[in-house]
Amino acid sequence: MSQGTNFRLIARLDIKGNNVIKGVNLEGLRVVGSPIELAYKYYQQGVDELLFMDCVASLYGRNQLTQIISDAANNIFIPITVGGGIRSVSDVNAALRAGADKVAINTAAVLNPSLLLEVSKYFGSQCLVLSVEAKQVGLRNWEVYTDNGREPSGMDVITWVKQAVELGIGEILLTSIDYEGTRKGFDLDLIKAVSEVVAVPVIASGGMGKKEDIISVSKENFADAAAMADILHYNRNTLAEIRDYAILANINVRSYEKN
Amino acid sequence: MKRNLIKQYNLPEKVIFCKKCTISNQRPRITFNENGICSACTFAKHKQETIDWAIRERELIELCNKHRKNTGEYDVIVPCSGGKDGSFVAHQLKYKYNMNPLCVTWAPLKYTDIGRKNLDSFIETGFNHVLGTPNRKVTRRLTQLSFEHLGDPFQPFIYGQTNFPMHVAVQNNIKLIMYGENGEVEYGGNMENANIPNKRIKDQDDIYFSGLPPEFWKDYGISDQDLFPFKSPSYDKLMSNGTEIHFMGYYKFWDPQENFYYCREHVNFAPNSERSEGTFSKYASLDDQLDGFHFYLAYIKFGIGRTTSDASHEIRDNKITREEGIALIKKYDHEFPKKYYDVFLEYCGITNEQFNEVIDSWRSDHIWYKDGTEWRLRKAIWD
Repeated sequence: MSQGTNFRLIARLDIKGNNVIKGVNLEGLRVVGSPIELAYKYYQQGVDELLFMDCVASLYGRNQLTQIISDAANNIFIPITVGGGIRSVSDVNAALRAGADKVAINTAAVLNPSLLLEVSKYFGSQCLVLSVEAKQVGLRNWEVYTDNGREPSGMDVITWVKQAVELGIGEILLTSIDYEGTRKGFDLDLIKAVSEVVAVPVIASGGMGKKEDIISVSKENFADAAAMADILHYNRNTLAEIRDYAILANINVRSYEKN
Repeated sequence: MKRNLIKQYNLPEKVIFCKKCTISNQRPRITFNENGICSACTFAKHKQETIDWAIRERELIELCNKHRKNTGEYDVIVPCSGGKDGSFVAHQLKYKYNMNPLCVTWAPLKYTDIGRKNLDSFIETGFNHVLGTPNRKVTRRLTQLSFEHLGDPFQPFIYGQTNFPMHVAVQNNIKLIMYGENGEVEYGGNMENANIPNKRIKDQDDIYFSGLPPEFWKDYGISDQDLFPFKSPSYDKLMSNGTEIHFMGYYKFWDPQENFYYCREHVNFAPNSERSEGTFSKYASLDDQLDGFHFYLAYIKFGIGRTTSDASHEIRDNKITREEGIALIKKYDHEFPKKYYDVFLEYCGITNEQFNEVIDSWRSDHIWYKDGTEWRLRKAIWD
């Protein structure tokens, strides 16, 4: 992570229809709860940001998050990022109007990179997150996947993130398909490889199975934030435990007083 | 040559889709009730709402007690390719029910890397295993013949998958064979066996081999010797061994997605890196390069592609909605298995033209019509 800023703890809610779901390697989507209830729970527990991903929006060619976001935004006062099925400037507009602070784009940007330029010009880089689903294909090689880890794109992750930064993205949500849902820790090689070539913040996603996993990923030149799903949904550790552990390990996290 | 599929498979002339899932009345042997609900959906409801699974588990424990040997010898055969379902059965029997399984794989026609890797990691996690690999020259010939004459290149694989475990059972004096789910009951078909734990050996040829047992191919010049590994042991041998074929899906609530989670956790099972052609999933039926053609032929013959089947299962298991299923069918059901097309042609020793000729011979007029140069479904689920 960059010097002088806090390492952010982000709760990731993958959404399908009316449910929060969780997969393994983005497959076998198991229902784990309700979006509003889980979002509020993690907010109350002091998470720094929330990430709502309609993980099947591209698969089904739809976009259903707007209602969930506007319901959530009524009682939740931390940054909210929305991803999944965002294909145009007007989709971005709708998400922001519903109460999102940032949008994350993957499939639509892969199909049409100039969408990133349009969105960043129109709304600013601060609200544009590039979502990358990375699949390892060689020793230090990762391929970009779309449609919730179902379709290979033929694009190289490193080349793609560099191009996307030039098109104005403000942040990268980097999901390792290989590590996602496996609880074996983050794909540190992938995260380092991306962080080294871009100046924008990187959110590491996929693999966090225990609180100790944030130590290596939060080191300099790795990630600026960790997205957590499995560990929270299955109550393997609470946010308080993760935060306390981070403080003991001298990781700069936001101090949070529970009221 | 044009075949009469209506007659051959006893299909209704008018295509009707189940109101709850995405399957149609063209699936052989499936039935629909007066409300337009298919037998598989009716069974799924029964399974979810009325079966007492605690009682079923006690039956399983009794069955295991009856067969457990405690001599160090094997007491159950688990047919298992290293996929999520067979591995689940084997792991549960061994570690939860204290059995001593011998796992048996009938080799795929043509391995995929991911399939072979999953089988290896399954064995690594602690199982004894036997692999049956038939004469490849004969397998290729049978594959080509059944592609042409049966409209399903997978038939030789299905023979072995069904019969090889019985050979191994007889050879090792193992009475119990435990399969995963009973596909005929779970996915819609003859429902006679819905509430019995085992499979009657006499049903084998009719239901599971569509009336064409391995002996049928003698007429095409395949010798008894070459057919032997594909054939079942003799009826007498099976009976004197006391062979019983049971389905885990009778004893335990069958949920393929939960099997995936279980196998991720316990046997290092990995899904594929991309979805299988013709469908949306990455975790089912991964081990054979040629199985895409089995599913593609079902699409040609019955208008039921791999996505239609997968979606109907997932709808019944409450994993997706019917609306989502239809979106997926629109997107993937028609997809041709191009990735291994050249492999398939070479395997069967046929040309592109011969392939198309066979495909067209299996297109029934009640399913397809030609619009210019394009084949179109007469009735799609979204119509």
